Amino acid sequence: MFNKIYLTVLCSLLFPLSGFALGPSEKLLTEKNSLYQYIAVTEDAAKHERYLRSNKKDLIQGGISLDAPAKMLFEYTRTAFVSLAFLPDDPRDVLFAGLGIGAMPRYLNSYYHEANIDVVEIDTDIIQVAKEYFYFKENKNLKIHAGDARQFVKRSKKKYDIIFLDAYQGDYIPFHLTTVEFLREVKSRLKDNGVVVSNILSPYRNKFFDSMIMTYKKIFPYLYIFKGKKSGNFIFVVTKNFDLKDKDGIEAAAKKLQSLRQFDFDLPETASRFEYSMAYEWSGANILTDDFAPVNLYKYQDSEAK
Amino acid sequence: MIYFIVFVCGAVVMSFEILGSRVLAPNFGNSVFVWGSLISVFLTGLSAGYYLGGRIADIRPSSKKLGLIIIAPGVLLLTFPLYSGPVSDWIFMKDLGVRSSPLLASAILFLVPSVFLGIVSPYTAKLMICSLHTSGKTIGTLYALSTFGSIIGTLITSFYLITIAGVSSLIMGQGILLIILAMPLLFMKLQCGTDYTGSGGGK
Repeated sequence: MFNKIYLTVLCSLLFPLSGFALGPSEKLLTEKNSLYQYIAVTEDAAKHERYLRSNKKDLIQGGISLDAPAKMLFEYTRTAFVSLAFLPDDPRDVLFAGLGIGAMPRYLNSYYHEANIDVVEIDTDIIQVAKEYFYFKENKNLKIHAGDARQFVKRSKKKYDIIFLDAYQGDYIPFHLTTVEFLREVKSRLKDNGVVVSNILSPYRNKFFDSMIMTYKKIFPYLYIFKGKKSGNFIFVVTKNFDLKDKDGIEAAAKKLQSLRQFDFDLPETASRFEYSMAYEWSGANILTDDFAPVNLYKYQDSEAK
Repeated sequence: MIYFIVFVCGAVVMSFEILGSRVLAPNFGNSVFVWGSLISVFLTGLSAGYYLGGRIADIRPSSKKLGLIIIAPGVLLLTFPLYSGPVSDWIFMKDLGVRSSPLLASAILFLVPSVFLGIVSPYTAKLMICSLHTSGKTIGTLYALSTFGSIIGTLITSFYLITIAGVSSLIMGQGILLIILAMPLLFMKLQCGTDYTGSGGGK
């Protein structure tokens, strides 16, 4: 008996069950160490929500409401859908780099049945967790490819209307998905009117943020920014073509889409957060290349602007 | 002087390994397979180098030969950007799978320089051992300095160097460093002399 208690205490000291503090009504459903990261699925009984967490305290990668699993619970995922307002027509081919819990591809698939959606995700354990805990299902128009996003893009011969870039691993940024070379490869996979949407989780501003802005600007003619109201996420939207969009045009397009598609969130409100990138640009920032991209150090360094 | 060279060679090995991960990432990602490939190739190179170095050291060792042994990886590192891109791209096109591709790329790009850098340790040990009474001390000091160099190389590269310069220029810089360090060795006559009983001679 005493031995058992001793053993339990020792084990809990040596192998703490989870690397973060759970909320008071939150319980752990599963956890695992994948090849790439620590993954935990937790459920909040009071809020009736389920989350995908990584080991960094307080960092939630994604989540769903158990009462309305079809909805996109997280603000940045809804914000990213503003990219639809930049397209002349309905998207027919869409690529997601990074699956997470799969909320965005699943939502897009449910509203645009006819769109062909490719999702590339490096971590097969994430794919399994998304299917098992977050209602993700593949179908003939929604396909998952297990692999590195950059290799997928390099090998792909397909062209896309929208490419979603959301491939952070917890708070770790894979540097090879931030560089001009990568963005050039992404651009080559876009149709003429195509757009790239990128989720940038960063405070405004630090060296990483400054460099990301200038790196996107280097490859794409225009960069539009949508700032999260509640979250610290910035959504970057870049276009391949040279038509300069304006706030009124995007808001009007969002209103039209909203009445046509009846999204369960307020797309026009998202569109109203439209900003040009000029206010955020700082030409002194280093452009990220395959040769030079210290992104995981830049995250902790203050901006040198002003 | 020799001690400093051993330290620098230790630093260059690990710095090159860290930078190697950046070289491979655009084509092969940043996965555990890439790190596994890199580390195993470097360790293979070093162990082969230790073995070879011991054998070569027994055949009339001289500081001139040591200089040449260090210049060889120096030249490989200095010219690294010329061939690293084409080699990686070629293997990417071949697409041998998530494990074999980075392993083959690592072997082609990093094996030969790490063999040469591995040779340095036993070779310098032979050059420095002048007295059988203190050979343990000499070898211990060289091991410690080489590994200490590796620690410093790892830390300054991953924490600092990659924020101030590009990967290519850092690798080339290390090539230049090796060549400059090896130059004086070509003209030195490093020997213990005839006094094989004195302790600590030949420093």
